[in-house]
Amino acid sequence: MITIDRISKTKSRTQILHEVTFEARPGRVTGFLGPNGAGKTSTLRILLGLDRPQSGTALICGRRYQKLDRPLLTVGALLDGSGAHRARTARAHLRWVAASNGLPDSRADEVLEVVGLTGDARKRAGRFSLGMSRRLGLATALLGDPAVLVLDEPVNGLDPAGIRWMREFLRDSAAQGRTVLLSSHLMGELAETADDVIVIDKGRIVIQGGLADVIGDHRTLEDAFFELTATEAGGPW
Amino acid sequence: MSPVRAELRKLLGLPTAWVGLVLGTLTAPVVLLLNAPYTRRAIAAGTLTDTSDLGLRDLGIGLIGPIVLGVIVVSSEYTSTGQDAPGARQLTATLAAVPDRLRLLVAKATALVLVVAAQAAVTTAATLTLTQVLYGEHAPAPAPARVVAAILYWTLTALLAYAIALISRNGIVPLTLLIINSSVVSVSYLLTKVTDLASYLPDIVGAQMFIGSADFPVEIAPVTAGLVMTAWVIALLVVGAVLFERRDV
Ligand SMILES: Nc1ncnc2c1ncn2[C@@H]1O[C@H](COP(=O)(O)OP(=O)(O)OP(=O)(O)O)[C@@H](O)[C@H]1O
Ligand SMILES: [Mg+2]
Repeated sequence: MITIDRISKTKSRTQILHEVTFEARPGRVTGFLGPNGAGKTSTLRILLGLDRPQSGTALICGRRYQKLDRPLLTVGALLDGSGAHRARTARAHLRWVAASNGLPDSRADEVLEVVGLTGDARKRAGRFSLGMSRRLGLATALLGDPAVLVLDEPVNGLDPAGIRWMREFLRDSAAQGRTVLLSSHLMGELAETADDVIVIDKGRIVIQGGLADVIGDHRTLEDAFFELTATEAGGPW
Repeated sequence: MSPVRAELRKLLGLPTAWVGLVLGTLTAPVVLLLNAPYTRRAIAAGTLTDTSDLGLRDLGIGLIGPIVLGVIVVSSEYTSTGQDAPGARQLTATLAAVPDRLRLLVAKATALVLVVAAQAAVTTAATLTLTQVLYGEHAPAPAPARVVAAILYWTLTALLAYAIALISRNGIVPLTLLIINSSVVSVSYLLTKVTDLASYLPDIVGAQMFIGSADFPVEIAPVTAGLVMTAWVIALLVVGAVLFERRDV
């Protein structure tokens, strides 16, 4: 369960989030949708305790991320890149992360297998392609077998097989009762994966609800999105 | 405990850390060996009479080791992890794993102290043994307290580098500052020519923790020197920790 309550954030004197409020529930895939610069990454960074909001609270299972003792056992997060230092091998990276939360070394090879990187375990992270980095980042998120997944643009950089795999992985995770929150600007992708949709634009939540409710009278999620964010189709998109 | 173990692994898994470990451990003994012919002649000729600092005196050159280690504990968190995502850094993974920032800083400092104290002990032992072998009875073994003080000085220097890196959030500033100051031109030493207060700068005062007879402009007792050095380290660590605690990543 993720609860974001009236988060406001100002960066470089510009307010980038305005009282952002929403929930992501267990057993469901929640899609966090918005155009570039809308505030998706900023919101997720606050949720993960990386940045501080000016006001408001972001809770995971009722607690602030900073207050979780071995957080990887509760939350798996994927942001930009893999988080692995370029000089480290994939396995070495995963092993220190595992150790930090009291997990055994053997978890490293297990999650490498899950994301299909077994053959690259001894390769340095600096040599990884974009898609491989994303997979390594996801492997890191899965180390503690968490009940909550927070993923920023998870399919970014993945090949078609990887995208399909990710979609099934997220659906399975939710089916097993996990809370899955993912940001994206790929509407077609989200329409196939998400149960609930939250749309953010210019730092404000413009609509949230079940996928069908958000689509409403529109033909597709994409139509609804353009209507809601007042971005002309054929404009910058 | 787990965060300390993780930080030890992170540090020892970096190639740059091994540069610091090897350089720091070997430089002092090698310099001692290179100087040996000259020192022997000086002893024979009677121009070098105070031999109580032989060995310990050369330890300063090895400080490059603790400086590099102290800096990269922090700077490795801030280097970009790849061109695909320029803003992505290891720090994101680190804080996701250990979100309590103070706890993280303590774990990092503990790992650093363990590694540097071990390195300092090995280097000091090697340097002093070599001094015995080279000069025999001309070089009396230093008092144990001075040996401990030397190891402590190395450790404090590593923590000083760590604190400065925390404040600057990169490796270039502290490395340039500390390495140039400790090897090429000592700005601190030049300053002591201008004002006696400069004698209380960390690198000048720190050396007096274990080197007695050198020509320091203001003589400071070893214990006082140790306390002043510790005060510097604590002050900078507090500034670094407060900034780290407050800043967005
Ligand atoms: N360090 C910063 N200083 C000032 N403004 C910033 C900073 N970081 C982000 N912003 C601004 O915050 C807003 C939200 O950015 P954010 O990265 O959260 O968007 P996003 O929804 O993730 O976009 P994208 O789809 O491109 O990833 C943008 O307008 C951006 O310019
Ligand atoms: Mg983003």
